[in-house]
Amino acid sequence: MKVSLLWLKQYVDIDVPVEELCRKMIMSGFEVESVEDLSQTMNNVVVGRILKLEKHPNADRLQVCLVDVGGTEPIQIITGADNVFEGALVPVALHNSKLPNGMQIKKGKLRGVESHGMLCSGAELCLKEDDYKGAEVNGILILNEDYKPGTDMRDVLDLNDVIIDFAVTANRPDCQSVIGIAREIAVVLNKELKLPKPEYKTVGDDINKYISITVEDYNLCPRYMGRMVKNLRIKESPGWMKKFLKSAGVRSINNIVDITNFVMLETGQPMHAFDYNDIKGSKIIVRTAKNGERIATLDGKEHTLNSEMLVIADAENPSCLAGIIGSENSGIKDNTTDLFLECAKFRRDNIRKTSRALGVRTESSSRFEKGVDILNVEYAMNRALQLIYELDAGDIIEGVIDCNKGLPKDREISVSVDSINQLLGINVPADTMCEILNQLQISTTLENGTLHCRIPSFRDDIEGRADIAEEIIRVYGYDHIVGTTMRGNITRGKLTKDRTVTDKIKSRLISHGFREITTYSFISGKALDTLCLNADDPRRNTVTILNPLGEEYSTMRTQLITSMLTVISTNYNRKNLAARLFEVSKLFVPKSLPVTEQPNEIPAMSIGLYGKGEDFFTLKGIIEDIYSLFGMDVGFARSDEPYLHPGRQAKVVYNGKQVAVLGEVHPKVASLYDLDIRVYVSEIQLLPIIEAPAKQVIYKPLPKFPAVIRDLALVCDVDTPVGTIEKTIRDTTGDLLEELELFDIYQGEQIEKGKKSVAYRITLRSHTATLTDEQVSEVINKTVKSLEAFGVYLRQ
Amino acid sequence: MQDLIMQIFNDATAAISTAQTEQDIEAVRIKYLGKNGELTKILKQMGTLSPEERPVVGQLANKVRQDIEKAIADAKGAIKEKALQLQLEAERVDITMPGIKHKIGGLHPLNIVLNDLIDIFVSMGFDVGDGPEVETDYYNFEALNVPADHPARDMQDTFYIGNNLLLRTQTSAAQIRTMENHKPPIRIICPGRVFRSDEVDATHSPVFHQVEGLVVDKGITMCDLKGTLEQFVHEIYGSETKVQFRPSFFPFTEPSVEVDVSCPECGGKGCHICKDTGWIEILGAGMVHPKVLSICGIDPEVYSGFAFGVGLDRLTTTRYKISDIRLLFENDLRFLEQF
Repeated sequence: MKVSLLWLKQYVDIDVPVEELCRKMIMSGFEVESVEDLSQTMNNVVVGRILKLEKHPNADRLQVCLVDVGGTEPIQIITGADNVFEGALVPVALHNSKLPNGMQIKKGKLRGVESHGMLCSGAELCLKEDDYKGAEVNGILILNEDYKPGTDMRDVLDLNDVIIDFAVTANRPDCQSVIGIAREIAVVLNKELKLPKPEYKTVGDDINKYISITVEDYNLCPRYMGRMVKNLRIKESPGWMKKFLKSAGVRSINNIVDITNFVMLETGQPMHAFDYNDIKGSKIIVRTAKNGERIATLDGKEHTLNSEMLVIADAENPSCLAGIIGSENSGIKDNTTDLFLECAKFRRDNIRKTSRALGVRTESSSRFEKGVDILNVEYAMNRALQLIYELDAGDIIEGVIDCNKGLPKDREISVSVDSINQLLGINVPADTMCEILNQLQISTTLENGTLHCRIPSFRDDIEGRADIAEEIIRVYGYDHIVGTTMRGNITRGKLTKDRTVTDKIKSRLISHGFREITTYSFISGKALDTLCLNADDPRRNTVTILNPLGEEYSTMRTQLITSMLTVISTNYNRKNLAARLFEVSKLFVPKSLPVTEQPNEIPAMSIGLYGKGEDFFTLKGIIEDIYSLFGMDVGFARSDEPYLHPGRQAKVVYNGKQVAVLGEVHPKVASLYDLDIRVYVSEIQLLPIIEAPAKQVIYKPLPKFPAVIRDLALVCDVDTPVGTIEKTIRDTTGDLLEELELFDIYQGEQIEKGKKSVAYRITLRSHTATLTDEQVSEVINKTVKSLEAFGVYLRQ
Repeated sequence: MQDLIMQIFNDATAAISTAQTEQDIEAVRIKYLGKNGELTKILKQMGTLSPEERPVVGQLANKVRQDIEKAIADAKGAIKEKALQLQLEAERVDITMPGIKHKIGGLHPLNIVLNDLIDIFVSMGFDVGDGPEVETDYYNFEALNVPADHPARDMQDTFYIGNNLLLRTQTSAAQIRTMENHKPPIRIICPGRVFRSDEVDATHSPVFHQVEGLVVDKGITMCDLKGTLEQFVHEIYGSETKVQFRPSFFPFTEPSVEVDVSCPECGGKGCHICKDTGWIEILGAGMVHPKVLSICGIDPEVYSGFAFGVGLDRLTTTRYKISDIRLLFENDLRFLEQF
């Protein structure tokens, strides 16, 4: 809400600097968005009268002017403009002046003749035609009213004002007006609020002879008030009104339209002025629209309405979208002679809905949808009539039509002083509470420690103890609240298991050199195509956003790989040569499509790595380590993810179920992400880890007897998976096996074609005795025999 | 013979004193004390001495032997010590050379700050909870005292998923679920991801993070709210930091406040970070609205509580002086490795 300081001063005596006013308002709940001191835009620019004009002796295009700027002597100024004349009143930038366009003016010489300033054009003063008539004329601005030479141009242009933009919170619709803000200022400055007392005279006659009003839906229109004015005298508004309208960014149209706008800004109550002669059948009907009914509005648009939308209609057609905008022809024209003036309260949620459905937002709709005060309707109407009367804009007809189903009385709330202090935790004296509430126009009496408050109708937001407490403390001052430590029940703080497990995995990955990344939860719908997923892949069943910021942010993730690849691509293409990354986030898996209930949110983790030394097995080692951290006995099996290298991918199986997948990214997929290197990724479901039984660690005594180490060099078919060899060694060595290490795999000249050499280091140890050579040989022989059974032989 | 022994002693000690290496010393030992050493030879001739002379000479010879052995041991020690000194001298390194880097990973800065927050609040007895990111209209708005078509809905632009389903715009939604499922006393924080349809720029992101705090118990006051936030702020920004409440409006708290802290950059004197106000806004808070308590089946006449919502992204960017929030979601390694 932008408010002019000069306008505010009409209602409250503001005798503190603007900074202090702003600080006090901020501390009572009105944030200041901006302060614009209009007087700062220019200085040392005054009205001057041209006394004499002469040709410049050394330049054909220049003229030498003698200008009266209010001083004892006229000054000499050179100008290049040709629209000036002797006797003209013009803006003069004196020596050492500053213009709104940033120019600094100093005296100097032009072609050898002294110039003590500059005559200004409208453009140089950043003026438009609306700001001052003639401002957009090419040449010097010729002032068209009479001013004394030397008058500060800021007074001429009404720039000795400060525009303050107060942020008004959604609970305070009453402050969407100059009076509303003035009321708050009066409280913080402890001053009296002086409101205009509307008084006017009618010319008799009777409104009922002119018009009838029917409200069909009092739920949507709790109050509708109408008045008639005849013999309109449409003309320009007086300067003071134009000035205030301009301060609020409203253009002056004519006296009648300006009055409705002025009253809306002043009181917060929107009004609508109808040309009486356009109201067919002399009837105003407040009704909901018929389905499919159409209206062409003032802004040149045409809308199709439905039966939830409220219109103001005459006997034939809607002439207004109630509270939002008038129809093309309903308004006041230059030749309008008779006026029907509307002042009403419409239901706020209905206005909001209609305004959004049709995409029309106006000053009026924004006030109605926040809520207007039903009692203020009458005040605003009378205020408008007072202005019509005072500005002699027409003859007011006797009588008012006021449609309502009863007006509310002030609500009473009783609340004990103690209960307020209990909520606040401090002791605000009861008298102070009373005083503050009364200042806020909440008429309050104190009786036996209880406050009896009468809530005025414009404070709909005050419903109970908590609201009363807030009113008190925001004026009393939040700096009275002192920090205390909570008393009462002691509680023990703890984390969820999800979080402790996830934290454990994260710190393990960090020790392996991984960096955590964070990406958006939504991706492009097309991203799934980059993974080459089949048409019937369940990951293609996604939760989508109805109103996304764009296609690229439209689909909730069902996998984390695309985000990981995007981050890897960013890094690689910025010449980060190697990276180990992980992300923990949720997958959104719909329970059914279309989505009718909350989707399953499944915690998952992605891992991605690339760079020198990384391969499938560095990734596999990480994955193995994560599961062993939780004592989970997992197996690896070949998998068939379309986005992974067909020969270099595996799924992790735990209790017969797939719990993760890992592998090298398929080169075709990698190239879609501008990656011409090998990249390894994994996606891990976190729930199986979170739900796995806690790992039991039981101490094993340190060995008392020495270990025996044997190396086995084996030869087998290239295709034989080493996993089966390992399993055989484990099975045959049993409890004696302490450690099994694959330390070499070889394929090449030294070995028969189609075969590979596999070398293991086997550490055997008994916990009951030192192993003898015989025992060791026996075990190893058994192992070798078992291996020979499926074609694995000792290397000769 | 005694003279001969003394002669041997003098020769031996002289030889030891000039020995440079362990080998020199060993040669001396062999020459005098070895099997065929000079002193050994003397001792072998003991039999030729008279019974009177024998103990005297024997004693002398033993003493000389011991002295030479000791001198040898000392000299060996000295030589070893010297050799060690030389070795250490030679092993001097240029300590200004850089240390060898060990590649260790790290958390995302958002989670570094979040973990600090969690530690602080857990130490104050808060549980850490969670809630769904796709929420129903009821939990995100209605139960938080924001009915349909209420102007307060304009405060947040919402992503919709379907009928009554949306991406939560605030972690406050988790408040309601907590109060429905727990009886007071309640002390909980719910960190999480929230969504608003803000166009991406240096200070706005459609995805960001909040930490919601909620306390409900008998006799909870606004002073408790301030005290709790002060403890938190002192841990995060330092114990000199001041906390200021400014009146504000949230539909689900009453009274509602914006919470400012004295600017950590200038200490409250005014600078470009705090736009010369001396304060920066870090969170919104208030006393839980009686209607919200009632909706969750908690009697507002018996219990009171407070709630607060911290913007984690802003807390992170101010702590590390990150100028553009987009950096948090871009994940450039050169950015991540700074934390």
